[in-house]
Amino acid sequence: MSTVQIPPPQVSLATLPLDQKRGIHAMWCVIATEAMLFVAMFGAYYYLGSNKDRWADHVAPKWWLALILMAILLASSAVLMWGEHQVKKARFAAGRIALWISVLMGVGFLALQGFEYSVEWKDVTPYSDTYGSIFYTITTLHAAHVIAGLVMLMYIGVMPRYGDTRRTPHKPYKTAALYWHFVDVVWVFIVLFLYIIPNFQRYMHVH
Amino acid sequence: MATSSTTISRLTTLWESPHTLYSWFATVDHKTLGKRYLATSMLFLLVGGVEALLMRLQLFHSDLSILKPEEYDQIFTLHGLTMIIWYAGPILSGFSVYLAPLMIGARDMAFPRLNAFSYWMFLASGIFLYISPFLGQAPHAGWFGYANYTLTKYSPGMGMDYYALSLILFTISTTTGAINLIVTILRLRAPGMAISRMPLFLYSTTTISFVGLFGLPPLTAACIFLELERRWGMHFFGIAEGGTIFLWQQLFWFFGHPWVYIIFLPATGMLSMIVPVFSRRPIIGYPFVATATVLTGLVGFGVWLHHMFTVGMSDMAMSIFSAGSMTVSIFTTIQVFAWLATMWRGRIVATTAMYYAVGSIVLLVIGGLSGVFTGIIPVDWQVHNTYFVVAHLHYVLIGSNVFPVFAGFYYWLPKMTGRMMNERLGKLSFWVMFIGFNAGFFPMHNAGLLGMPRRIYTYPSWTGFDGVNEVITVGAFVLGIGILISIINFFYSLKRGALAGRNPWGADTLEWSTDSPPKVYGSEHIPVVTSRHPLWDDFEEEEDPENDRVLDWGRLTPTTTVLDAVPVGIATIPEDSLAPLWLTITLFGMFLAIVYQRMWFALGALILSLVVACFWMWPRTEKEVTE
Repeated sequence: MSTVQIPPPQVSLATLPLDQKRGIHAMWCVIATEAMLFVAMFGAYYYLGSNKDRWADHVAPKWWLALILMAILLASSAVLMWGEHQVKKARFAAGRIALWISVLMGVGFLALQGFEYSVEWKDVTPYSDTYGSIFYTITTLHAAHVIAGLVMLMYIGVMPRYGDTRRTPHKPYKTAALYWHFVDVVWVFIVLFLYIIPNFQRYMHVH
Repeated sequence: MATSSTTISRLTTLWESPHTLYSWFATVDHKTLGKRYLATSMLFLLVGGVEALLMRLQLFHSDLSILKPEEYDQIFTLHGLTMIIWYAGPILSGFSVYLAPLMIGARDMAFPRLNAFSYWMFLASGIFLYISPFLGQAPHAGWFGYANYTLTKYSPGMGMDYYALSLILFTISTTTGAINLIVTILRLRAPGMAISRMPLFLYSTTTISFVGLFGLPPLTAACIFLELERRWGMHFFGIAEGGTIFLWQQLFWFFGHPWVYIIFLPATGMLSMIVPVFSRRPIIGYPFVATATVLTGLVGFGVWLHHMFTVGMSDMAMSIFSAGSMTVSIFTTIQVFAWLATMWRGRIVATTAMYYAVGSIVLLVIGGLSGVFTGIIPVDWQVHNTYFVVAHLHYVLIGSNVFPVFAGFYYWLPKMTGRMMNERLGKLSFWVMFIGFNAGFFPMHNAGLLGMPRRIYTYPSWTGFDGVNEVITVGAFVLGIGILISIINFFYSLKRGALAGRNPWGADTLEWSTDSPPKVYGSEHIPVVTSRHPLWDDFEEEEDPENDRVLDWGRLTPTTTVLDAVPVGIATIPEDSLAPLWLTITLFGMFLAIVYQRMWFALGALILSLVVACFWMWPRTEKEVTE
């Protein structure tokens, strides 16, 4: 049976370098599915609000706290990016220091979010109404992702050797950092949907 | 083909797991795991089948009381969950996990330990669900568990908790499996197997893996909401507290309809492999079938509201989703016509696998047409929640999943076991199944149009449903007998079947160039592909006089670029490990603790899981063979 044939690629397999990309490809898939989880959560947030006259704006959460939290996360991402750059240039000590600074900032984020919860709790709790339930579910789910990201970063921080070596083929530093950037980007969307827009709506109501 | 015994012995030492208890639990071999997937999901098919037959006995006559109403509810819920979630998806994963690396000429999956983890999690989630009936508290709200019947007020007991958490466990398994298949198929293809030369089965597997990535999270979200509302007193679905019951429906069907394509597309992919081989010619319209497969997955995200036409929504929304539902049928039609044209232009070899393939096309067309009916809004309003829908979904699911799966078994089992299945028993099994299925399910259309509602545990005799239900029950039992004949055939052929040889069907794809059953390392020389039909062209895939492509100094397989499959690297494949099993056990413990709200235990199990995961990922030196 004849079929269309194209000459094979003339590459010698035995001399190729070790593959280092599977880890990052899998991480992109993880990020896709996690992003979809947050899309579902935001969808639920707006769906629950769609049959009510006033949704989030009557108890709009403090936007300035959320912005400080966002600044912390974005700064930690920037530090980690610098670290990735260092690791790429084989300056592993600098990369490790950058990573631990990011971890500290992440812990700081969690502490400040705990304080934020204690402030918000006076007006709204997860049990008070639908809004409280979905607000705390989304933000806590994000905090869980922050914890997962921190665990990954700390794990990379104590790993014996990282960077482009023959023995750690999955570029773990870059992979974990990618997840951390994703967690930070999710917080940007949370700030937009759960903090900025409700406060804006509240402002429109008042004036 | 240059064969050297030292190469073979090196490869065997590298890849073989010894026959010990440790290896049995620690293996990461995709062939072993694929067979386990297949065996486990067939077990779930049998369990779900027994549940179906119990229901049919109860409905044999009016006013029977073989099952109590509550028992009937639990059994139809378990039947739906078992068949749709724990049989139909994983059995196709089994075929993909077993066949994908062989079809692309790779030595294993991209992440073999993750593969083991996916399997163990699938098994664990199934066990998790089946704890509940032994407590007498199985979920009882149907497989789609509509709120607010699922809230504690109406569903006290643990049933719905087991439902929600076993589904979350299952989504973890399916998501990791999908990621693994995506990276494997896109990155580990043999040099030269450009995306335009990929077997069609892999097109459907890749498509559904992406659909899984985006379709499963809404289910996870819905189950998290349900658990939080049931056990932690939060408010999402309860109307009195400002929730809405439709939130569950929206999230569930955003998962639910893509899931239909997840359990349907790989089966059509199998047909696209089997039909051309037994028509002795390449498939007609390869690019159309490939594109239709991808588009089905894509448009499958835009049809979920057609499950909810009766809940009340704007005409515009209904029209869009009605149109979307009919658009999907066009893509399926393209595939059906490609198969028909292939058969028309080919010379058909009437094997059992081909019988099942043709049978499934017939059933798929009937089920697809009744699907087009129900996609039309007024018809949907008329037949909603009647046996018409039951008939439709069984024609689609059995026609496009069970029959192709049996075709796949008759086609690929010789590769897996090394023995041919008995053709005579196989054809008998096909006819019994085909007749039984049609006798059992075609009358359901009638019952539905006459107004018989689904999910009723009995019906009064004055409704006149007796006759039709007797036929249905007899048909269901005949279908069961047909499946049993095939299972007997399997065990008989395992012992007595003729030896298969490498390529008993004269097929065209790479898995047939390996031994039957394949060696632990697949093929000795990594194949190079130059056409869509590697075994039908005159190029020798494993010709490698320089021994450049044996890669026998470690557990290695080449990686290639996504589109053109130009080799760019060598992937290291990890060895056997118990870590996937331990991680499964700790997560299982964590979810069990959550059901009983022992949160400190759950936290402990979570920390233990993290420890296991760290141990799993710790970099260590790989095994190397030195002379």
